[in-house]
Amino acid sequence: MPTPIKRALALGCWLLVGLGTGAASAEPVTITWQSTSLSEKQFAPIAEELIAEFEAANPEIRIKPILVGRKEDWTKFVTAAQAGKAPCVYRGNVTTAAYNGYLRPLDDFFEASEDSFKQVWPADILNAVRFEGRLYALPVYAGIYAEVYNRDLVEAAGLDPNAPPETWDEYLSWMKRLTKDGQWGTAVLAGPTTTTTRTLLSWIYSNGGRAFNDEMTESSFSTDPKAVEAIRFYLELASKHGVAAPGAATINYREQTTLFAQGKIAAMRNAYWGFAKVLGDNPDLAGKLVVAMPPANVAAPRSVAKITAEMITSSCEHPEQAWTFLRHLLSPKWQARSMTEANYMPLRTDVAERPEIKSDPIVSRYLEVGAIARTIPLPHPAWADVAGKDVVKALQQALLEPDRLEEILRELDETVTEKLQDL
Amino acid sequence: MSGGRGMREERAIWRASGLRRERWHGYYFLAPTLLFLALLIAVPLVQAFWTSLQRTRGLRSSFVGLDNYLHLFGSERFWHSLSVSALFTVACVALHLAVGLLLALALHQVTFARTALRLGFLTPWIIAPSIGAVVWVWLLEPQFGVVNHILTSLGIIQEARVWLGEPLLALGSIIAVDFWRGMPFVMLLLLAGLQGIPAEQYEAAAIDGANAWQKFRHVTLPNLRYLLIVATTLDTIYTIRHFDIIAVMTAGGPASATEVLPVLIYNTAFEANRFGRASAVGIVLLGIVLTLSVLYLRIVKPERDKAEA
Repeated sequence: MPTPIKRALALGCWLLVGLGTGAASAEPVTITWQSTSLSEKQFAPIAEELIAEFEAANPEIRIKPILVGRKEDWTKFVTAAQAGKAPCVYRGNVTTAAYNGYLRPLDDFFEASEDSFKQVWPADILNAVRFEGRLYALPVYAGIYAEVYNRDLVEAAGLDPNAPPETWDEYLSWMKRLTKDGQWGTAVLAGPTTTTTRTLLSWIYSNGGRAFNDEMTESSFSTDPKAVEAIRFYLELASKHGVAAPGAATINYREQTTLFAQGKIAAMRNAYWGFAKVLGDNPDLAGKLVVAMPPANVAAPRSVAKITAEMITSSCEHPEQAWTFLRHLLSPKWQARSMTEANYMPLRTDVAERPEIKSDPIVSRYLEVGAIARTIPLPHPAWADVAGKDVVKALQQALLEPDRLEEILRELDETVTEKLQDL
Repeated sequence: MSGGRGMREERAIWRASGLRRERWHGYYFLAPTLLFLALLIAVPLVQAFWTSLQRTRGLRSSFVGLDNYLHLFGSERFWHSLSVSALFTVACVALHLAVGLLLALALHQVTFARTALRLGFLTPWIIAPSIGAVVWVWLLEPQFGVVNHILTSLGIIQEARVWLGEPLLALGSIIAVDFWRGMPFVMLLLLAGLQGIPAEQYEAAAIDGANAWQKFRHVTLPNLRYLLIVATTLDTIYTIRHFDIIAVMTAGGPASATEVLPVLIYNTAFEANRFGRASAVGIVLLGIVLTLSVLYLRIVKPERDKAEA
């Protein structure tokens, strides 16, 4: 082949390579976002709009949602994270993910942000998303657990929905009145998810009890008399008084809300996000739900507030772009819309103070409960295992063998304390 | 001397024929498959064993030797899980075989709508196990489930039972669902065996005055012996590794009553985030399955030779 032709071919090749590289660099960066909310009916339409608006404003960034159910969420995330392919943005348990090295600290991004952004987060809420002093996530929503009643069923039982029970004794009396053929006062949750422990803790706290020491090195389910008393009272709603729907060991969030929507139970301990599920199942209940303080034997704390947070993973190749997306996700507009349309309680103080949110009687009631609630998940890497397995197993055993309650709780403490100390 | 010369001559002929050059061809053809299998099986296996020797916390890990195995064998939870696995496997395999054989015998006799009936019985086997399990969860649901409704309507039970909420009922329920799903395979295998039994043997037995039971005992069973052994061992190997139905229906609960070894592996890896310990359980389960497989091969070969003879 003549030399000029060879040179021309070589030049052509270089041009092609150059064009290819240029084309590649112009391609938008893709940020993957995994969240169970993305497949939930109440949030999916908002997420679509939120992403569309973000991509229009940031054409160099594309958001790829990863849809996953609640049960598979952590499994999918861990599998990807272990392979170094975790989604860039993830909504999940901060402490466990940070401890396992799956997350990127966000202190540099946060500190570089303007004061008006940094100041909208309450200090205790920000502390809930720190691990070993470093910020690993931004808090998004809170699930404040209040007692919710079906107004129609309460009135049908001759009770006043405007004067809900304040104490445990009053609560038990109400539950007895609300239990009749094919209908129960409430549901005891002992199904295999962390929601079971979340609900149990709200009962323990409302009796002035505690389940863990401050350092999270020991559990005290059996050693704290107030905790034992609370667990016994809660379980006896099902095992002794018969005022809770049968099958506690199989009841979770989904079953509880289904029972409530169908009028099988008159009361449920649930967060505001449960409303969307209940009203989705039974729209006739709109305007008939009464939110009240959980009955308690102490003034505070009386409940729990589950903090949901968004984080950036350590395997994310474009953390700056992911942070830009987080800022968009947490902007007042989308926080407010998530509140009004998906019932996700905002954690930004400026959003919570908005008139359209504060004027909603149900939301304001939830915020009152939130003011005297403790945040969860508790800050320990073994939390999901302890809350989702060990506590659940103990409750299931105690429901089957109520006479062995204290022995079961002692065994629970042994198991949990060993796990808390095994870091 | 003549023998040595003969061998040399044979070698010379072998070399001249080109067979020497071609002796590696078989390996060349096998190489892609061997490589594929090595990548898919051997590498993860070695990786799993290596992980079982480590203390793993997410992306951090450190070598701990046999600590995970020592912890495992000292753990009450592991032995409990092993016993649940054994009980589940024995019950399921026994049910698959007993009912599968009965149904195969019945279907073998049926002449009307034979294909439709066979397809009908095969349906559970066609459905994806996890989908079938979700359907069963709702069928067994205490408040709204069809099972409670039918049983109370018929007066078989007085009040709604919590099928997945009590240890014995939950174990019974997952065995029942596994029976529903796994029996058709055994039935199909035995039906194929029944169709292969020569009619002359039954005719000869009839001439000798054998009754139905004697025909079954002395003609059918000996002819099915090989297939029964194959079905038992294969079904045992399959059932002891069973995960999907149990994971969906009970996740190992209530109170660990249905936590078979594969569910224990999952719970240890993904709930407790202890991949080292989970891998150790996985290696032990692999050992059990390999032992069963070796037994299978040792039993099946002489039986096959006998059947072929």
